[in-house]
Amino acid sequence: MKSGHNKINARSILQNNNVVMLIVVVAIIILFTLLNSNYFSFNNMMNILYAASIIGLLSIGMTYLMIAGHIDLSCGAIAGMSGAICAVILRDTPIEHWPVAFVITLCVALAVGALNAVLVNVFELQPFIATLATASVCTGTSYLLSGGRAVVVENLALIAVGKGKLFGMPYTVVIMIILFIIFGFILSRTVFGRSVYMVGGNETAAKLAGLKPKKLTSICYLMSAGIASLAGVLVTARMHSAMPGAVSGSEFDAITAAVLGGVAFIGGRGNLAGCFIGLLIIQCFANGLTVLGINSFWQVVAKGILLIAALIFDYVRRKNIQPSVITDAEITAAVANNQ
Amino acid sequence: MESVERYVEFQKIDKRFVGVHALRDISFRANGGEVCALLGENGAGKSTLLKIMSGAQTPDSGKILLNGEEVVFHSTQDAIAAGVSIIYQERQLLKDLSVTENIFMDFLPRGRFGIVDFAAAHAEAQRIIDEFKIPIKATANVGTLSVAHQQMVEIMKAYRRNSRVIAFDEPTASLSDVEIDVLFDVISRLRDEGKVILYVSHRLKELFQITDRIVILKDGGFVKSLVTKEATEPELIRLMVGRDLGDIFDNLARNTEQGDIVLEVKDLTNEKVKGVSFQLHKGEVLGFSGLVGAGRSEIMRAIFGVDAIESGEVLIDGAPVHIKSPRDAIDAGIGLCPEDRKEEGLVLERTIRENTTIPILNTIAEKGLINLSKERAIAANSIKNYNIKTHSMEKIVMELSGGNQQKVILGRWMSADLKVLILDEPTKGIDVGAKSEIYQMVCDLAKKGLGIIFISSELPEVLNVADKIVVICDGQITGILDREEATEEKVLALAMHEHRAAS
Repeated sequence: MKSGHNKINARSILQNNNVVMLIVVVAIIILFTLLNSNYFSFNNMMNILYAASIIGLLSIGMTYLMIAGHIDLSCGAIAGMSGAICAVILRDTPIEHWPVAFVITLCVALAVGALNAVLVNVFELQPFIATLATASVCTGTSYLLSGGRAVVVENLALIAVGKGKLFGMPYTVVIMIILFIIFGFILSRTVFGRSVYMVGGNETAAKLAGLKPKKLTSICYLMSAGIASLAGVLVTARMHSAMPGAVSGSEFDAITAAVLGGVAFIGGRGNLAGCFIGLLIIQCFANGLTVLGINSFWQVVAKGILLIAALIFDYVRRKNIQPSVITDAEITAAVANNQ
Repeated sequence: MESVERYVEFQKIDKRFVGVHALRDISFRANGGEVCALLGENGAGKSTLLKIMSGAQTPDSGKILLNGEEVVFHSTQDAIAAGVSIIYQERQLLKDLSVTENIFMDFLPRGRFGIVDFAAAHAEAQRIIDEFKIPIKATANVGTLSVAHQQMVEIMKAYRRNSRVIAFDEPTASLSDVEIDVLFDVISRLRDEGKVILYVSHRLKELFQITDRIVILKDGGFVKSLVTKEATEPELIRLMVGRDLGDIFDNLARNTEQGDIVLEVKDLTNEKVKGVSFQLHKGEVLGFSGLVGAGRSEIMRAIFGVDAIESGEVLIDGAPVHIKSPRDAIDAGIGLCPEDRKEEGLVLERTIRENTTIPILNTIAEKGLINLSKERAIAANSIKNYNIKTHSMEKIVMELSGGNQQKVILGRWMSADLKVLILDEPTKGIDVGAKSEIYQMVCDLAKKGLGIIFISSELPEVLNVADKIVVICDGQITGILDREEATEEKVLALAMHEHRAAS
């Protein structure tokens, strides 16, 4: 029996979440370009990606964890804390090289990721609650470190990273795109990535088939914390300072992007390409409202409405996949007819 | 026996599920002032009948009459309102609440402003407790009570509702002898009050102690209603067995050549498994029989590294192996097809291809990267060899029929380098055609030299497919029978007799 090439038809394309969402992105871009021709310019497109980059980074770890059936509500707080730690190290210690400060910061973030993993996999707390608690610890820590005020960064090398561009693309955008590609590849092609899907789809079945769910999800928590740390330092570099609370709540935007992109909240389904498209939808829409001069509070409302719309769409689409009610005999007949 | 007007009567109850005719035209009557036992093998239809009584399921056709009046239950609330209570094996209690709150779960007495009058409630609950002569306090948290007392709370809940019919589902399964005596006292009391008591249990000894009438079901059909005093144990067993599965086994090509011992289990013990020892040869199909809950799956979970072992040893090819996780078991050459296909076996939302290669991902990958063409070849091979009916390997497993889902799991182990394959109820809930295919696959695997453990609740299946039958009761082996000497009667007698030494 061959691998079975399905005929490409309109219906099967519409069954593909990513294709539908990509159409939505294009539709949004066309809509706003018609309303304001400046919308579809290189500069504005870069603005969109630039605004998307921090949430984008956070959504990578979030996507892995959500596919594995977990969640990390602490990634935003870890990013915030990392920014503060890095800025404080550069301001208050003799360390002058930002990469050194970043490595120290990364270690602290990984420790928090390890704590999440221990809480969830050893003490078997609900991921939602466990990471909510560590989020609070991290947010508090960043306020303590900064004294509640912005910690100004005077390290020129780090500021250069925040300002720097490659072919007109800000470094953060470049980094985000590279990480999306690397982690997207890992998720779709490696044993590790496949295992994440299986564990999220059915943890018991995965375990009985020889996978190690606890080990796998622990790695995901570490990964999420590590990338969040990088995102936090990049925010600090971009803003020349660490503002406590600058990225607070961004974990929810990361979840929104992932869910819009078809990542199942209960695990087992979704991919990073979808997540990236979800991210684009949010940012294209938000940016469009800004370009049209609409009150920015509407952006928050719009984000919620987009999410609801995406979930309803997902519900309708999933109703098409139903447990088999056809008998073996009918399938045999159908297969025979096809041959 | 005060009133013959109190009775429950089943008239031509019929119920089908996909692929299974669960109840066929069941008609019988249970009188008030009588304890009526429902007896039958696994899958005879007892649970389905209880579910219909409880309103959890509706029959496709047929009537239930309560004291001569037809009752129709669309929900469990309807059944409760009509005065039917079922006491399940898994108790339906809120463990963090008091005895009173549990007894009055659906209607706590209210005082002024609709506020619960706890003083009155506790007093009333205590009155019921005292009436039953149970040494517990109404204010105690149910979670702090012994299992037996929790069951009493459940019974008092039914009593408080003034239930006319009370059904017990394996009530003694987790009780000690003393506790059973207390339970029987209570049941006798309820009987003497003229209530209709239905009693489901596998323990024959008990049926002679407590019941007045025994209704025997087989294959979803009614067999006979006997007066307990006139019945004998061998007669009951004879009436329960003898399922007709047609000629499904006639063409089965079984393996006849056995090799060395491939798996040896010595004195395996943990919480649920008690001193289990057996040997499995290459090419042998070892059947495991026993009643539901006897501990067959638990033995396999212990061997497969899912549950921890307290003592005992597992040897593969004569060498001891230390299995701490399913991964270790697989690496040692053991595969498991779990009992609950959907919950424990498959990742339903993923494709046949992905479900096929889970245990062997590392062997089809180079440097962590999955070799997709290898994977496709393996999946295609498994679809072909196991006759999985599908258009494409990219089909989501959820969309397959039960039989094909089971074949996907079997196919999964084909490429793993196995020595022993454990099949836990591999034919549960699948249609006859797929069943016979699976029997043949099991025999073919044995021919290839695999040692096979075949757990099944269906006696004819074990008797026809297995070379030897290990009978389990209460976590221990009560007998190992050769194929030639095994009969349904012998296996069932071993499965129902507790603590009887292996002979």
